[in-house]
Amino acid sequence: MHTAAVDAEHEYVYEDDFDGNSFDDTSAEKYTDMAAGKKRNSIMSQESEFEIDDQLYSDDDGTDAYNDYTLVEPLSTVSARELNQGTVPNLKYECLTAQSIFEKMVERVNHLKLIFNICTEDLLSLMQHFDWNEERLLESWTDKMDDLLVEIGLKNASETVSGTQIDASNGTETARTLNFRNNFSCMICCEEKTTNTFSLECGHEYCIDCYRHYVNDKLNSGNIISCIGCSLALKNDDIDKITGSPSSKKLMMSSIKSFVQKHNKNYRWCPFTDCNYIIHLKDTSSLDEYARLHYSPFVKCSDSHRFCFSCAFEIHAPADCNVTALWVNKSRKESANLNWVLSNTKECPKCSVNIEKDGGCNHMVCSGCKYEFCWICERDWTPHGKSFYQCTLYKSDDDKKNAKTSLEVAAKTLKKYTFYYKMFNAQEESAKLDWTLGQAVGAKVRLLQEKMGVSWIEGQFLAESVRTLYEGRTALKWSFAVAYYSDASHNLTKIFVDNQSLLSAAVEDLSELLEIKEPAKIMDRKTDFYNKAGYVENRTSALIECGRDLLCKGICKPV
Amino acid sequence: MLKLKLSKEQCNESCSSGMSPFNLFSSQRDPISSFSAGPVGDDLYHWQASIMGPPDSPYAGGVFFLSIHFPTDYPFKPPKISFTTKIYHPNINANGNICLDILKDQWSPALTLSKVLLSICSLLTDANPDDPLVPEIAHIYKTDRSKYEATAREWTKKFAV
Repeated sequence: MHTAAVDAEHEYVYEDDFDGNSFDDTSAEKYTDMAAGKKRNSIMSQESEFEIDDQLYSDDDGTDAYNDYTLVEPLSTVSARELNQGTVPNLKYECLTAQSIFEKMVERVNHLKLIFNICTEDLLSLMQHFDWNEERLLESWTDKMDDLLVEIGLKNASETVSGTQIDASNGTETARTLNFRNNFSCMICCEEKTTNTFSLECGHEYCIDCYRHYVNDKLNSGNIISCIGCSLALKNDDIDKITGSPSSKKLMMSSIKSFVQKHNKNYRWCPFTDCNYIIHLKDTSSLDEYARLHYSPFVKCSDSHRFCFSCAFEIHAPADCNVTALWVNKSRKESANLNWVLSNTKECPKCSVNIEKDGGCNHMVCSGCKYEFCWICERDWTPHGKSFYQCTLYKSDDDKKNAKTSLEVAAKTLKKYTFYYKMFNAQEESAKLDWTLGQAVGAKVRLLQEKMGVSWIEGQFLAESVRTLYEGRTALKWSFAVAYYSDASHNLTKIFVDNQSLLSAAVEDLSELLEIKEPAKIMDRKTDFYNKAGYVENRTSALIECGRDLLCKGICKPV
Repeated sequence: MLKLKLSKEQCNESCSSGMSPFNLFSSQRDPISSFSAGPVGDDLYHWQASIMGPPDSPYAGGVFFLSIHFPTDYPFKPPKISFTTKIYHPNINANGNICLDILKDQWSPALTLSKVLLSICSLLTDANPDDPLVPEIAHIYKTDRSKYEATAREWTKKFAV
């Protein structure tokens, strides 16, 4: 139990970073490393059957049409029951780094090398120019090879020699190197000085300072950089020579990005902050199957960041991508300040002091008046014993029927939304605090090892519990998005809400258990940890299944 | 530090002849020079230019004023140029903004102000209705050329003479 009273004059100027937050805290993922390691091995084993790109020479649209066709076929024949119980194939994916993507790009253009007879770097530029569409490239190549080379800047327009060989030594002797000149008059800065200069074969020569300024400026745009005076392209070597540092890496990165962008059906950057892994899904046909059954294709990068491949959002079960998008969009529209006030502080029901929750479960004790209350419903804690945990139940005002004016309806909708938003945020906040808790667990395990002589592996149940707790909270959080869009009067919704209550109670139990600090007590209650974590796990999967059921049966209709 | 970049000859010309900066581009060397430019007051980042309506266009006989703002990192970034005289043209809107590739992504530090003004002159002669800033004018330009020319002439008479 943790409470903290904050100053009533707390400033609520805050950015609405509702979606960003969830990605920031990556610490707790550390505790899933073991599992990740195992998974990685299995991913590695699939690598042998891996090809560069399944749709190497086929048009993306073509495969799309095919997928649509196969999707329509079974829908018309299967019964609703089968539709619910359908299982989805396991996602076969691999986690790549930017470097391995680049190797794939090189591998792919190397196929074309025989036809084009030009160097890999130039071929990469060509392919980027044609959006990685080999057919279009080949077509243009046969039609007007020379024009094409001039257009992309691989060849000087004034060069009349027709031949496929692009050779840098064709140009003047001084081209593509730094030249030292006395009293050089630069066209750009209008200064006459003794300086290094740079020029390509085209002979447009400028002082190195101007060239460096120009190149550094252009590097950020990610396009091929041409000579200042004409369209002849600078090569990576030239760029490094001019800037005096390996800055062409930046260009390479943007080339990789354009490749990933072009193949965005198969590749997805890990959305977590500063994570540079890319997930490559070989067979996208199963994604439709996932969507049809309201499953979400969750993947995990080598840094153990788990996210949804379809919408690049955090794990959002039981909600599907559609519900998630709508929910996030809706909450973004609401005022940032209101959200902050709603989600971060509450008044003590008794003494009205503003309270910010900084850790632990929902059993609050006001540090001012010692009043015990529930953080969720803001009522007395006493009836919240294990048998009566009803805080997740939204009490719809059905008895006051026939809300006549639209104003009343709007107010009702807003009230309903505010309720679910509060619930959603409460879980999100708690989940965040659990990250922090997770960090403390490492220390706890060490303490156990030192004081109780517990082996490392034996202490892992603590880390496991924190992970389970986090997953439970995340599922609970997103279940409120599902609940918001569901028909509250339907029987299944009621079951769903019951499931929410059960998971909520289980999560709170586990959370309270994890608050124990004394090593001896922790070891005493080891079985409790196992039991409660196992229970949370079961409840989580039950809730996720129940939510999917609502979506499949159309009771949850996101509008 | 702003280095006003003119072509070398222009620099020499202005230095040797001691002309007012406003006439930097004018005429002795090129008697049919159709534009001039110079700073407004003491602010070297803010220039004014004038363009004569090209004789083979409906803008003939008009004098069009433009305001030019040089960014601090000129010539690595393009100058901001807009018409201050009202003009009826598919690529120039009511605020005087010009839709011209070399003022946007096709800008190169090797371009000089005189080259840019020359480009604007040729834009007056040959509009680019396929990439219009004012679609209504572009539509008339493509469907009823004589109506376009009449209106352009009328506006020139009204605002630029």
